[in-house]
Amino acid sequence: METGMNDVNALVLTGYGLNCDHETAYALELAGAAARRVHINSLIDGTVSLTDFQIMVFGGGFSWGDDHGAGVIQAVRMKTHLGDQILKFIEAGYLVLGICNGFQTLVNLGLLPGFDHDYTRRSVALTFNDCGNFRDDWVTLTVNAASPCIFTVGIDLAEFPIRHGEGKFYAEQNTIARLIENNQVVTRYATPDGKSAKGRFPYNPNGSIDDIAGVCDPTGRVFGLMPHPEAFNHWTNHPDWTRRKETLKRQGLATDTGPTIGIRLFQNAVDYVRNNK
Amino acid sequence: MTYRLEITLKPELFDAEGEGVRQKAKNYFGIELDRVRTIYVVTIDADLTTGRLQTIQSEIFTNPVTQISSYSPLDVEFDWTIWVGYRPGVRDNPGSTAMEAVADILGTALGSNGAIYTSKRYCLQGKSVTMEDADKIAGELLANEIIQQWKIYAAEAWDPAEGIGIIIPKVVLDHTPTVTTIPVDSDASLAAVSDERGLALNPADIPTIRAYFLDKDVQAQREAAGLSDPTDIELEYISQARSDHCNHNTFQGLFRYRDLATGESDMVDNLFKTCIEAPTLALKKKKPWVVSVLWDNAGVGKFNDDHCYVITGETHNSPSNMEAYGGAITGIVGVYRDPLGTGKGSKLVMGGYGYCVGPRDYDGDLVPRLHPRRLLDGIIEGVRDGGNKSGIPTTFGQVLFHPGYMGKCLVFVTAVGIMPALIDGKPAHQKRTAPGELVIMSGGRVGKDGIHGVTASSETFSEHTPAGHVQIGDPYTQKKMHDFLLEARDAGLIRFITDNGGGGLSSSVGESARYSGGCEIQIEKVPLKYEGLDQWEIWVSESQERMTVAVLPEDIDRFLELSGLHAVESTVIGEYTDSGKLHITYKGETCAHIDIDLLTSGFPQWEFDAHWLPPQMRGLYEPVLQAPPDYSKLLLDLLSRPNICSTEWISRQYDHEVQGTSVIKPLVGAERDVNSDAAVVRPVLESEKGLAFAQALLPAYSAIDAYHMTSCTIDEALRRLIAVGGDPDHIGGVDNFCWPSVQYHPQNNPDGRFKAAQLVRACWALSDICLAYEIPLLSGKDSMYVDGHLPGRYGETHKVSALETLQFSTTGVIEDVNKCVTMDSKMHGDLVYILGVTRDELGGSEYYEHLGYVGLNVPRVAADEFAPLYRVLSHAIKKELVASAHGIYRGGLGVHLAMKAMGGNLGMQVDLGLVPVEQVDRNDVILFSESAGRLIVTIDPQNRENFEELFKDLACACIGSVTTASDLIIKGLDGSILVDISVEDLKSAWKKPFGDLV
Repeated sequence: METGMNDVNALVLTGYGLNCDHETAYALELAGAAARRVHINSLIDGTVSLTDFQIMVFGGGFSWGDDHGAGVIQAVRMKTHLGDQILKFIEAGYLVLGICNGFQTLVNLGLLPGFDHDYTRRSVALTFNDCGNFRDDWVTLTVNAASPCIFTVGIDLAEFPIRHGEGKFYAEQNTIARLIENNQVVTRYATPDGKSAKGRFPYNPNGSIDDIAGVCDPTGRVFGLMPHPEAFNHWTNHPDWTRRKETLKRQGLATDTGPTIGIRLFQNAVDYVRNNK
Repeated sequence: MTYRLEITLKPELFDAEGEGVRQKAKNYFGIELDRVRTIYVVTIDADLTTGRLQTIQSEIFTNPVTQISSYSPLDVEFDWTIWVGYRPGVRDNPGSTAMEAVADILGTALGSNGAIYTSKRYCLQGKSVTMEDADKIAGELLANEIIQQWKIYAAEAWDPAEGIGIIIPKVVLDHTPTVTTIPVDSDASLAAVSDERGLALNPADIPTIRAYFLDKDVQAQREAAGLSDPTDIELEYISQARSDHCNHNTFQGLFRYRDLATGESDMVDNLFKTCIEAPTLALKKKKPWVVSVLWDNAGVGKFNDDHCYVITGETHNSPSNMEAYGGAITGIVGVYRDPLGTGKGSKLVMGGYGYCVGPRDYDGDLVPRLHPRRLLDGIIEGVRDGGNKSGIPTTFGQVLFHPGYMGKCLVFVTAVGIMPALIDGKPAHQKRTAPGELVIMSGGRVGKDGIHGVTASSETFSEHTPAGHVQIGDPYTQKKMHDFLLEARDAGLIRFITDNGGGGLSSSVGESARYSGGCEIQIEKVPLKYEGLDQWEIWVSESQERMTVAVLPEDIDRFLELSGLHAVESTVIGEYTDSGKLHITYKGETCAHIDIDLLTSGFPQWEFDAHWLPPQMRGLYEPVLQAPPDYSKLLLDLLSRPNICSTEWISRQYDHEVQGTSVIKPLVGAERDVNSDAAVVRPVLESEKGLAFAQALLPAYSAIDAYHMTSCTIDEALRRLIAVGGDPDHIGGVDNFCWPSVQYHPQNNPDGRFKAAQLVRACWALSDICLAYEIPLLSGKDSMYVDGHLPGRYGETHKVSALETLQFSTTGVIEDVNKCVTMDSKMHGDLVYILGVTRDELGGSEYYEHLGYVGLNVPRVAADEFAPLYRVLSHAIKKELVASAHGIYRGGLGVHLAMKAMGGNLGMQVDLGLVPVEQVDRNDVILFSESAGRLIVTIDPQNRENFEELFKDLACACIGSVTTASDLIIKGLDGSILVDISVEDLKSAWKKPFGDLV
């Protein structure tokens, strides 16, 4: 997977207990990027330079075992050793994506929500699920069409799995109001037919305030979400695929085995980089 | 200096953990609490300035959005507060990551004496709560005395300035490492030393051990090395290697089998060789996809031209029985090291679990160490954290309740990995050590934890079992090591790799040195968690998360550099040689010098008497039972039985789709809540090939005959793969035996000879059925001594033994995942078929168990009758003629028609008169017989002709159709309607027992 560089180069962090790096790199490759899995320490020791990349993905789960708050210790390490480089990366107009543990890390770094171009302040949190446990389930997401988010362009509804114990989006009421006002709330948990989950379990699987599943910075280039788009990289990842296949067959139709909505999210990032050279 | 930081959620935030405690206190003990809040306590033992304390408080330990914290006790209201912390020496994973984070942010380590410990304080509010209640909550819900300590304070006794005080659980061993020499002047004196030191030497081995150390040549060689009588480290080495856990003495034993009914007898010399090795080698010749079996940490099969898959299964019963969370997490993390240590190393791609425990609502007189409910909670959470934090999907699993597991629970854990076919142009499954290569220990450090784990697990549980072998696995450390070792493998740096599990370095180094023919180990080089361990303790400690690796001297710098990049500790501890000796020194002094081949020769075989009495002669018979008139109520009650009902709460806690490979999930169907027959993953993302995986457990049949228990278990595990689209030509098996003690003893084990006969019969079935179905045994393990002694109402103790249990796992390569099918009915109008014959086989069934019977007519496997059916079904699925397929398992046709209807959330109308039967004329028999070899299939009516043509000479009949109505309607033999229940009602009955658990 770690092929040579092409015009769009994506970096996926690995190390210190992080997972999901292989499938995230795979999804980026399917989307047309050259993806490289890079150990956090290779960035710190300078063997690999962030300046060679245009997309940076904080992925997966369980860096440092999620001890002391999911994403907290990763954020400490990144901030201590790479804080300036990451800020420069964002300033240069490049893309940062945080998935699950990566989202948790982005909020602990302060890269999100990034109000007033302050990318260091922690003002939102992802805390323990209200259900009291880790949960793996597919959720339906609605996308805010007015959001500036680069990654969700042209997507209005998506289904991805959530797999977390600390995914409840929480912030003080005025912060939430500001996120909404700025259209920084990108994705919300919804019922299967695309209606608001209104906090109801299991559609809103963790008790997130206002059903918030993902937010972006004011530029739309930094995006974090709890569900895993990279886990929907093949049509057979979807929990209903055998049912859909059968339904379509009876109508004389073939199943759409093309790029999934998960891959389309990554394609948006690749297209953006390509179009903004 | 010491500091204590208390952290808690802001008062306006919901405390999910506290709420969980509140609910459990109510549900488990009937104790009403109004509110529980959790405080995290971080205790720092290091000299830090105020500024630095503030930095770590705000940057690491306190989330400004959700938490508040203070270096003095937090003022959170309570009527009772309970502090719970680890005992000294117990693995504190968050404490360890806290040290990493603090060192990182401060730019300096805490120093050799610095440490951070974590603990919790629960604040309980409830006016009616008594000291007794608080004590119960502490001891039976929040803490386990084996690994934890606690303190309880009433509100009036609380000092708000002092709080819990400062508790530093630091291990201080004021001890100089010493090698002790043990005299071998008589068998009796060595036996006495064995007892005293907990060596658990088998009395029969003692003369062989003595003969070796008294041999003139050996003595001369030892004298030259500076040794005389054996040292403790040498005897520990022998004890570990000869334990039943490592050496499988029971399976390699001699069984004198006698059928007491016929008087016929049979000498079975070595169950492993005759019933496992022989059939597997015979099948390996026939099946080129079998790559490597019977010698390594896991078996290896071909996946595609570029990859092999690897599978093994383990149990972790004894430790889980004492400390459920710690035992289970250590079990799952431990089994994941097996594929990592197979060939030159495999990436982990999938895990599975099987839990056998006492009834969750047990309220009888026996007092197990942990109540089954608490035990199960802990086991589930241990495997959850172990699997999820390893980034490995847990795709399949089962839970089984039976009072027999109150003596000792069973925790089966299974691991599947994938490796490249070639590394550096050479087969990746091959490995050897050679003289001159360096011996490396990678991963965690060594402490006193886990000493004598293997010998303890080779014994029956008693109150005197040493607690020291209970550990807490550390998936974080292991995940870092896993990622590092795979990179080292791909860089061609690994010559040999194996894991440190049972027996620690003693096993891993001892076994790997047999290839080169010897080794020299400098044991003082092994990194320790704390000072003061004796040499023998370092050698046999089972401290987790360690691998032993052989590396060429010219590669060592690159290997260590890569290890450093991944923040993994790796240490050269010696060198492989061809001296023929295991030679261990401590700071230049020899403390062990022993022939490497001692363990492979000369030890006596264990012997067992095995007496079989057929079930009729044991007084078993078919109950005299009239069929009931009310089938609807009966079916609903069966669906609510603990071994049938939904256990969704467990599956959902397990990440079953990390790695992005998921094709068939553990829960499927319209509402994604019904169990699938098997899991399928796409382990190589670029490939459309899949790997299917399933397991089966049917111990209830052992009450009649373990031969048929084994046959049916294998058949079910096979059928599960066939149902999702598996290929009968490529099925691999893994056998995990868990058996009560089979050594006869007139007082302690009066039915030992019968249990031995059951084991022999189970092994015969294993061989017969695997040969018939052509399933090579890729891997397997045995865990004997599944017995416990539990106190009863008057303080008397009862021996409680488990049913003879086999977990059988199957795996198979699927050519094209796009053609897999799931079990749920798909479309109304689809036709419902039954494949296979239903016979009068209710013996050991769920139906009989429900009514309080065992019966006699246990299901039998006719492999030659079933195999052609499986082959045709597999073909039909490949031809895409099948809309859904589901095996008929425990509970029989009635229960599994319900599963299919619930899966599709669609009604179904079927006629029992159309079901293929043999000598059956009763509705209850058709509905609840558990005859093997059967499946329910639904198809598009358009495919009817093609489908029926394929099955034309086989047992296959259309019994009805999927309907638009929302009811499951079953017509009886006389045409009357036996069952008419809405799918919704079926589901609510099926979810009733555990549906509220999360």
